Amino acid sequence: MTADATPALVEDRQTAAGPRVRERSAYPRYLAGKVAGAAVSLLAVLVTSFFLFRLIPGDPVKTMTGGRQVSAEQLAAYREEFGLDLPLWRQFTDYSGKALTGDFGTSYQFRAPVVDKITEALPNTLLLTGTAFVLYTALGIFLGTRSAWRRGGLGDRVNTGLALTLYSIPSFWLGLLLIIVLSVGIGPLPGLFPTGGMESGGEEGFAYVLDVAHHLVLPVVTLVAVEYGQTLLVTRSALLDEMGSDYLTTARAKGLRDDLVRRRHAVPNALLPTVTLIFINLGRTVAGVILVETVFSWPGLGGLFYQALSVPDLPLVQGLFFVFAAAVILMNTLADLVYPLLDPRVAR
Amino acid sequence: MTTSTGTGTGPRALARQRRRASVARFWRQYRAERAGLYGLAVLALCALLALFAPLFVGSDVSSVTDAPGRPMQSPSAEFPLGTDQFGRDLLGLVIWGSRVSLLVGLLAAVLSVAIGTLIGVTAGHFKGWYATVMMRVTDWFLVMPTLVLAIALATVMSRSLTTTVIAIGVTTWPTTARLVRAQTLAVETRPYIERAKALGGGHWHIMSRHVLPNVMPLVLAQTTLIISSAILAEATLAFLGLGDPTVVSWGGLLQDAREAGAVSAGDWWYLVPPGIAIAVVALAFTLCGRAVEAVLNPRLGVSR
Amino acid sequence: MGTNDQTRSLPRGLRLVAAAGAAALTLTAGLATPLDPAPRQARAADDGKKVLTVAVAQSVDSLSPFLAVRLLSTSIHRLMYEYLTNYDPKDNHAIPGLATKWESSPDKLTWTYTIRSNSKWSDGEQATAEDAAWTFNKMMTDSGAATANGSYVGNFRKVTAPSPTRLVIELKKPQATMTALDVPIVPKHVWEKVSDFSEFNNDKSFPVVGNGPFVLTGYKPDSYVRLKANESFWRGAPKFDELVFRYYKDQDAAVSALRKGEVSFVAGSPSLTPAQAESLEGAENVKVNDAPGRRFYALATNPGAKAKNGEKFGDGHPSLLDRRVRHALFMAVDREAIIDKVFRGHAVEGEGYIPPRFSQYFWKPSTSQKLAYDPAKAAELLDRAGYRKNGDGKRVGKDGKPITYRVLCHATDPNDKAVGKYLQEWWGDLGIGVRLECLDNVTDPWLAGKYDLAFDGWSVNPDPDFVLSIHTCGALPATPKDTGATDNFICDKQYDELYARQLAEYDPAKRADIVKRMESRLYDLGYMNVMAYPNAVEAYRTDQIKSITTMPAKAGNIYGQDGYWSWWSAVPADAGGSSDNASSTGVVVGIVAGVVILGGLGVFAAMRRRATAEDRE
Repeated sequence: MTADATPALVEDRQTAAGPRVRERSAYPRYLAGKVAGAAVSLLAVLVTSFFLFRLIPGDPVKTMTGGRQVSAEQLAAYREEFGLDLPLWRQFTDYSGKALTGDFGTSYQFRAPVVDKITEALPNTLLLTGTAFVLYTALGIFLGTRSAWRRGGLGDRVNTGLALTLYSIPSFWLGLLLIIVLSVGIGPLPGLFPTGGMESGGEEGFAYVLDVAHHLVLPVVTLVAVEYGQTLLVTRSALLDEMGSDYLTTARAKGLRDDLVRRRHAVPNALLPTVTLIFINLGRTVAGVILVETVFSWPGLGGLFYQALSVPDLPLVQGLFFVFAAAVILMNTLADLVYPLLDPRVAR
Repeated sequence: MTTSTGTGTGPRALARQRRRASVARFWRQYRAERAGLYGLAVLALCALLALFAPLFVGSDVSSVTDAPGRPMQSPSAEFPLGTDQFGRDLLGLVIWGSRVSLLVGLLAAVLSVAIGTLIGVTAGHFKGWYATVMMRVTDWFLVMPTLVLAIALATVMSRSLTTTVIAIGVTTWPTTARLVRAQTLAVETRPYIERAKALGGGHWHIMSRHVLPNVMPLVLAQTTLIISSAILAEATLAFLGLGDPTVVSWGGLLQDAREAGAVSAGDWWYLVPPGIAIAVVALAFTLCGRAVEAVLNPRLGVSR
Repeated sequence: MGTNDQTRSLPRGLRLVAAAGAAALTLTAGLATPLDPAPRQARAADDGKKVLTVAVAQSVDSLSPFLAVRLLSTSIHRLMYEYLTNYDPKDNHAIPGLATKWESSPDKLTWTYTIRSNSKWSDGEQATAEDAAWTFNKMMTDSGAATANGSYVGNFRKVTAPSPTRLVIELKKPQATMTALDVPIVPKHVWEKVSDFSEFNNDKSFPVVGNGPFVLTGYKPDSYVRLKANESFWRGAPKFDELVFRYYKDQDAAVSALRKGEVSFVAGSPSLTPAQAESLEGAENVKVNDAPGRRFYALATNPGAKAKNGEKFGDGHPSLLDRRVRHALFMAVDREAIIDKVFRGHAVEGEGYIPPRFSQYFWKPSTSQKLAYDPAKAAELLDRAGYRKNGDGKRVGKDGKPITYRVLCHATDPNDKAVGKYLQEWWGDLGIGVRLECLDNVTDPWLAGKYDLAFDGWSVNPDPDFVLSIHTCGALPATPKDTGATDNFICDKQYDELYARQLAEYDPAKRADIVKRMESRLYDLGYMNVMAYPNAVEAYRTDQIKSITTMPAKAGNIYGQDGYWSWWSAVPADAGGSSDNASSTGVVVGIVAGVVILGGLGVFAAMRRRATAEDRE
């Protein structure tokens, strides 16, 4: 569970309104505007990531050399090697210049290109978040639709109640409990799932896939449990909104079967605003996965970020921060771009 | 405001009367929200517990040298929730921890909502470049990954409660700002604002006397919802070891439990109560927030 | 919502499909368990390979021996490369490694090593003195190659290899540590192709050529490090076929993995917690190895940081310059309570600087010298030193302000935080405030001397030279801008004289004597107060590891030894009974999965019935 959870709930009211584009011909211009906006945001992130982390107390060069005896000249040489001897603005222009070409510098602690470290960990994070994302979105939409259709019924009350409760649970705590119950095993219950990590190591082919799937279960369950509630609630309220619409009443009055009305008209239309949320969620999940990765020792970006912060391994921290923010920006932009294409009302 | 108390029928008294009536109406509608009432009841209980904690647990509950038990005892008659790694009574610690967790949650939410309201109202009132810049900043904060930013801020500053409050407050305000701005724009189109402007009401007058009272209900709903996430965020930061290690909070207790190896030892009694406390309070605030929202905007139909 | 049952048939079908999908997911998850060979890791497996899996948490900083400084990386280098000498697992004395014997010239300045002729690199080439000479020379001439172990060659004048079996090292000054050169010797014919030693991490092409008991065959950052047995290792091949270091960033996860048999061994970093040890002691097939550790855990005091050029820096509290104050503070620390409550018996009360495990160097204070726990006497000492309590019961410094010490603690070390809480209360009773400053990375305030007291601890090597050297004046930084090798800026003439004497003393007994006098001096100074020697608490599965050498052999640790003894000596347990275990797990999983699915279907059916009933209303 992250700090942004509840505000995002509120936020859906804006996103539900969605971007409106009056004419189809306006779409290229709209697209250009959104892409330009995203580019500006990315640049702003680059600037922030550079300056924010300079505030971390600590001289990276002294940290890097640890307790070893290092002369002032040697320290100066290191500073020069990492470009830390230059004035801040020069460091920044150098950094951004290189970053634009995809070079985020060299990690202090691993002495390897930041891009390499990130590309090592990124697939792992994507596997975890991707799997969880698909499942919680499907679950959220499915249950949300059911709930809305039977608004006020027992199913709805249980559904929303459960969603709200899981949504208030700290994800790391849920993860720890799952480890105790399903991984360590309580009483006669044996541990069914691995306690952490992504692979046992040494597996090949299909056995490797199964092995990773086995490691994937608990972190995914944790993520799904704390994340599906939001999709559920948004789907539900979008659908409730939609159900008040005139055309539905008309459709029903025409004698269309209730169920058909729901499937053909209400659900597809109500899902439109949810699309935005879905994209934004994907972006947020990538960044919010830090906790789950920590609890389950998942070798992803979150663990790397945490490790880099403690040094502080500035190039790596900056690179990761950029990736996290870029994920959100990218997904927001995609949502903006896809939305008008999906919404039939936009065609008018 | 105080000057008008005597006049009785003056315009201010009228306004106050109107406000009192609307509060009463609000409460009537709120009472109809069952989940909201449960939430409120739980919160009242927690608040009482936290406020009067010194009376029945005493501040020495967090003392390590006078710890009454052996380390990590399982629940017993003497220690209903067992003991922690110092042999302190966990029940006492969970009650004592509520003070810090609730305080940090409240302060962080107040900070967040204050920033959000300030920016939202001003951006809605002064249009032009100021609004453009402010909304760009807001949008930009909105896309920042909140947890990552909060972790970064908590790392940049020294470990203390203030740091936690700031880290949470500074990262969660943008949604409030956007909501408040939208509301401000709506309020400012109303005729009586035009009139107030025509009568020479300054910016400050309009914002504080007309806009602010009208956005207050929204701000209230927003605050309750943000407290809920702020409490979760506090627990998260403490759990990641970014909190103040010398104070007792729920997240800190979980972090202690994990560091002491309670998970693999299967000492569930050390882990479960602080987590439940966090979940219950966060849930209670969410329920209240949703109830307030439902009252303000019945069309949402969130809870019924 | 009026509708009839008939219209619902289609969605019901759809939902069943969805339910089936969910069930399939659950099943896949469950199925993975019986197929997953993890629980039988050590005995493995289809090809009969014996794999020893070790749970680790520390990331590899580099796999290049010229860059690596972390414990895990250097331990791996021990396994990959042979060093000139090794340490006897019984009593730590130097024994042959790549060198079979060694001698020093009468002037103590020339050391001649005889290099064994039965050590081959894993690519078939012969390991020779030339490789050793090249390794040392590289470190002496290339600053990139000196990154990790440069300090070992600082006193070298010249290193040559007159013949493939003879290595000659000429020194600038006598140096008693010449049989404790912990430098991995690398194959010249592979490493001379490296262009930039400061960037080459030795982790791109596998297997990595080496001559140690294991050969590095694979590495995935924060996932695993894999080594295979070197069948032609001169001391004899290891008994396990493979050694895998697998990552568990969370120590609890590692412990649970051990309990389930996913891993054969777990050490924790730096050690298992008391709760973990207790829970494992009751577990089946698990042996907890609670051994005297090689670390000391101390409270370091800022003696007023200064550089060699005399320049003072930092902002340590002036009252700490008074020896009485330092002694009073330490006398108010109840070491027994720390052992009992914080370590819960998994540590030994601190005495001298070097842990009792290194018996020849262990020293403890005499009764009259000892700063025993005595808060009343501590208060008296403070009164005498002129730090009296004011009206609020707080002791005031010479500047008239109440004294509050900043205590630097490692945010990642639970012991620091726990002891810190005790210090707050103990010293609070004395009238002295404590502000715990817990940081992920304490290096910066530490090197800048911006602290009053700090939690400190070092792992001591069989040769104590290093941990002694870090308290000499020579270790101070040259100027405040440099980084010195000093631990906490101690500079004491008497100590330094003793240090120089022991370094030039080639007779072990006499040298040990001088070392003990140094410890006594350090104790009296009160800048370095050892509170405890934490045990190495680690655990392994007896159904996977039949036997393993600890170091010292009698009661010693397994992980992080000075040498490759543990992993090289580990004997796999017989494979009997493992398959039973796994299949029973499989059955249980199957049952659980079945129950989950049935339960799900039941709930689903109930909800449907209810829904239908509602519709009928």
